[in-house]
Formats: sequence, structure tokens, C-alpha cells
Amino acid sequence: MDLSLTKTQKMVQKHIRKFSREVLAEWSLYLDREAKPLPGDIVTAMGNLNIWGIQAPRHFGGADLDTVSYAIVIEEISRVSASIGLGVTVHNSVCLAPLLKFGTEDQKERLAYDLSAGRKIGGFTVTEPNAGSDAGGVQTTASDDGDAYILNGQKAFVTNGGVGDVFLVAAVFDAARKSRGIGIFIVEKGMRGFSVGKIEDMMGMRGNMVSELILDNVRVPKTNVLGRPEDGFKISMQTLDMGRIGIAAQALGIGMAAYEAAALYATERKQFNKPIGTFQGVSFKLAEMKTKLEAARLLVYKAACNKDNGLPYTTEAAMCKYYAPGAALDVCQEALQIFGGYGYVKELPVERYYRDVKITQIYEGTSEVMKIIIGNAILKEFSKL
Amino acid sequence: MLTIAVCIKQVPDTHMVKIDPVRGTLERDRIPNIMNPDDMHAVEMALFLKGRYGGTVTAITMGPPQAAEILEESYAMGVDSAVLVSDSRFAGSDSYVTGKILSRAIAGLGSFNIVITGVEAVDGSTASVGYHLSEFLRMPLITQIHKIDIEEKHAVIERLYGHEYQKIRVDLPLILSVNKNTNVVRFPALADIRTCFEKPIRRMTMEDIGGSEKEYGLSGSPTVVIQSESFVHARERETMNGNIQEKIEDLLVRLKKHNIIRY
Repeated sequence: MDLSLTKTQKMVQKHIRKFSREVLAEWSLYLDREAKPLPGDIVTAMGNLNIWGIQAPRHFGGADLDTVSYAIVIEEISRVSASIGLGVTVHNSVCLAPLLKFGTEDQKERLAYDLSAGRKIGGFTVTEPNAGSDAGGVQTTASDDGDAYILNGQKAFVTNGGVGDVFLVAAVFDAARKSRGIGIFIVEKGMRGFSVGKIEDMMGMRGNMVSELILDNVRVPKTNVLGRPEDGFKISMQTLDMGRIGIAAQALGIGMAAYEAAALYATERKQFNKPIGTFQGVSFKLAEMKTKLEAARLLVYKAACNKDNGLPYTTEAAMCKYYAPGAALDVCQEALQIFGGYGYVKELPVERYYRDVKITQIYEGTSEVMKIIIGNAILKEFSKL
Repeated sequence: MLTIAVCIKQVPDTHMVKIDPVRGTLERDRIPNIMNPDDMHAVEMALFLKGRYGGTVTAITMGPPQAAEILEESYAMGVDSAVLVSDSRFAGSDSYVTGKILSRAIAGLGSFNIVITGVEAVDGSTASVGYHLSEFLRMPLITQIHKIDIEEKHAVIERLYGHEYQKIRVDLPLILSVNKNTNVVRFPALADIRTCFEKPIRRMTMEDIGGSEKEYGLSGSPTVVIQSESFVHARERETMNGNIQEKIEDLLVRLKKHNIIRY
């Protein structure tokens, strides 16, 4: 058993870390303060490095990397800006990835190049005002109209909503068939009746234009259905497995940023004529932070490795998505405590880490939903015995 | 079409280097190795020229087998071929012998119209390999490059020193030495990182470049490092007194004295 990174993974880590620190980091404060999207030239620069097509095949302009490398990229970007990390992981894992996995050749030819290059930004939406953890409760409708479906409804809390060009939208085409009556429809910016609603004013992740999407008699051609219509719910669940690895990696990145800031501060800040890190009250906190982050990292890599090796990873993805955000929240909270009053002011980034990290326990499946998934897997395993 | 050779070196990461206080040598244990920072700028210059004028870029390094790592990295940045000049008989070569070995390797690989090096390596800081290459290859060396244009058989180069530019025209082939003031190094794309380990690295030994064992390594090197030691720059602090006008005048005098401003 070898838990070390491959040469490729190490080089990915080194260069994305450098790019994040030298290019992306300077935007993190702006994104948080102004709650504005990332400027287009930065999006393009990221595209030139294949950051919008991390796992897409070469012939669609992607980097064709493995899932561990993918998690590394998300972690490194999220260390400097969780908002940017969010946009990248959602675009890659729950828009481009399912498009490539379930899409027709025509759909891929038409959209994958632009998505891989970041010329188009993608999103994925099941959530509605009345359908959150209960994903089967989708109320947006898709009524059959010859060669198209007519979509009506409202989507909520859509990551990349305000800036996106391509959305995978869950809608009910046959209410009688329950979850098998939910399809995934590729809705593109510019379609008549499709518009962005309210941009959310959020506690954290303020650089991502999370928004409502309004579907008012949007005519979506049948060639824009992802996979078979009746497989929509299944596609969603598989897509979210991948998305969860990304969000866990994002939480890990935020936690790492907070931990490193706190560890450095503990060696510099003096009270009672000693660096505060020499007090066990502080060093024990750091020890716990590091251990939790390492455990989170191993869970993220385990889920990613399983996926790369073609093994089942639904439970592993749920475990890392359950554990990493909780660990990262603890780490951010303790980091803030180590910084004391300085952790609470906006001059330093620690309060931002604390605000940003909380949502990782909520989106892409809440921690509670993760425990349902893990619990069901346990019951299934033991009932077989 | 330009044929460009870029000479690069693997060095210990400068931020982590410590000198053994007793032996006066670099403590290399557990220090990660990186591509020498100035050499990153050399690769960038090569890729910039290739991008603008077309051509091929060959990265060359002399070093132990693990120096192949920086060749892989140069592939990720976009070079076309890579050569590792490695032979245990080269161990201990000083910068003069390094210049000799590299020049023979370069000559053996074919004819290049531009050879690029970093100004200096952070581990030895002799900043002299470029000059040695210039002598051995009988090619002019251009330093302090601010701007470069290639026109047919010559280059027009703006050189920057102090507060002035010098514009020169120089025939190809030539050698350029560059550092962090010359350009901004590109980041490799993930797709190129993904494939850089699969590309071939050509290996050259003493047999490939010719010469005899006594010309190389410690025995061929005129320079011997006797000792290295760390020193600390203590920052000097002075307080200027008087009213604001007097302080400004005092400051101006000091800045002029140190040649920071002239007028």
C-alpha cells in the first residue's frame, strides 16, 4: 500500500498551488467584499491551464487527469479562494462530467470544448424552493411538445447561476412515475423564457453568483435531454457522488488555509513573553486541526482513488463529504480562536474561512443526508450477512 | 525557424537551503530540488521566441540522473525535446568544466542559432556558465535583456542597465542570459503536466561528447570551493530629525549619496 502521490499528482499540486497563490489569491478579497464574479480574463487564464476541463478528454480540450489530481486542484484553489474553488468544482464535476458521461456525441461536440476552455460556464440544478434534501420533490415541469419539452418552474441556490451558460436542470416530465419521471434537461443561456432570478446575498462564498433560475415556458429541444429521460434521477445521484468529492476537497482546502494561518500565527504572536504556540492550549488545538485535516484528506483521496480504479465510491464519497466539511469547520473555528480578536476582524482572512466553510456541510447533500447514505449502506451490508 | 537550446539546472530549493555551520557545505538532505529560478526564465524566453518566430526548443541539463525531473517540467512548460548530460565522471565539475561539457553536448546535438541560460544558479551563484559557453562555442553572449526582436540573421536587443537602455544589433548565432527581470514565466497547463512524463529524454555521457576523463569532474576543475558560510544582512535604521521640510531634504541627500536618485 502506497499513500504517496504520483509524479503527475505532485506536479499538478506544485503548479496549481503556485498559480493559485500568484494569480488567484489577489482576487479572493475582492470577490468576498464586492460579491462580484471573477473577471473574464482570469477565467480565460484558468481555461488556458485546463482548470475548467480537469478530467475532460484531450480531444475535448481537457487535461484528462485522474480524480485524485482533480481533488488536488480543487483543494489548492480553495486554499486561496473558496468562491473560485466552488465555481470550478461545480462546473467540472456536476456539469461537464455528466455531459461527457451521459451526453450524446452531438451534445458533447456542441458544448464540451467551450466548457473545457471556460468559454462557457456550467451548472447543475435539482434544488427548488420546496425541494432540497428531498430531491424527489422537484416541482419544475417538462411537458412533451413534439420535438421539445416545455419547462416551467423555479430553481433555487444554483451555483454559478448568475454567470453560467449551460445548466443541467432536473424537471418532472411524468409525475405518475415518481423518481423515474424526473429528467435532466440541458438548458442554455439565451433560450427564450430562461432567466436568472435573484442573486443570493450570502454569508460566505460571496464570489460565486449563486442564484435562482426562472423557467417560463422554456422550449428545450429533445436533443437536449441528458441520457434517457427516465434516468434523470439516477444520473443526478451519480453526478452528485462525483460532486461530493469536489466539495470535500474544497472544505479540505479552506481548512488547510485556516490551519496554516493559525500555525504561523502561533509561532509569531507573543503573550506572556512567549509565542502562544508554546502554550499547550494552543499547540493541542493545532495538533487536533492537523490530525482532522489529514483524516479528511485520506477520505477524499480514498473516494477519488476508488473512482479512478473503477470501484464503487458512493459510500466513500458520502463519508468524505460528511467528514471533511465538519473537520474543516472545526479547524476554521479553532483557527479563529487562536487568532483571538484578530481572527474576528475583516483585515485578516480567518473570519472569511469561517464564513466560507459552513456551507460545505450544506450543499451537494447536507451532512445529515450523507449520514443517511452511509447508514443505508451499512444496513444493506449487514442485512446480507 | 529558430533552433533554440536552453540550458537548465536542478538546484536545492533556495527557500529551504541551509549551510552546515561546521563543514561549510550545503545541507542537501531532505531539501526538495527545483528548477533553478533564473532557468525558468530562460525556458520562458525560449518558448516566447518559439511562439513568435516558430522553431524548436531543446532543454539541456547536466546533472545526476534525478535531474531528469526538471526536464519533465520543461516538457510541461512546452519544450520540444530534452537532453540529460549525465556521467559519474562529470561529478564535481566547476562552472568552467560545466561550460565545457554543456558546449560539447550542444555542439554534438547539432547547430542552434540561439542558446539561452539563466544568469546564475542559486546553489553556486557563480553566474559564469553563460560566459564559458560563449567562449567554448565562439558565440556572443548578451546579458541584461529587456526586449528582443529577431530579424532574419540577426537579433535587435534592448539592454537595460541602471536607468538607461542600450539598443544593439547582433548576428545569430548568439547566447542570451536571462533572469527574473527579463520576463514572466508561464504556468504549465494541466494537459501538458499530464503528458510530460511520457516524453523521451535523450541521455548523453562522456562517450557522446568526447574528451578524456581528466578534463572533467574535480580533476579538470580549476576552481575549488574552500568554504561556504551563512551571513545575515542586518538592517540599518536611522532616525531623521527636524521638521518635515528638513526631513525631506535630508532624505534627498541620502538618496543621491547612494545613487538611488540623480537630480
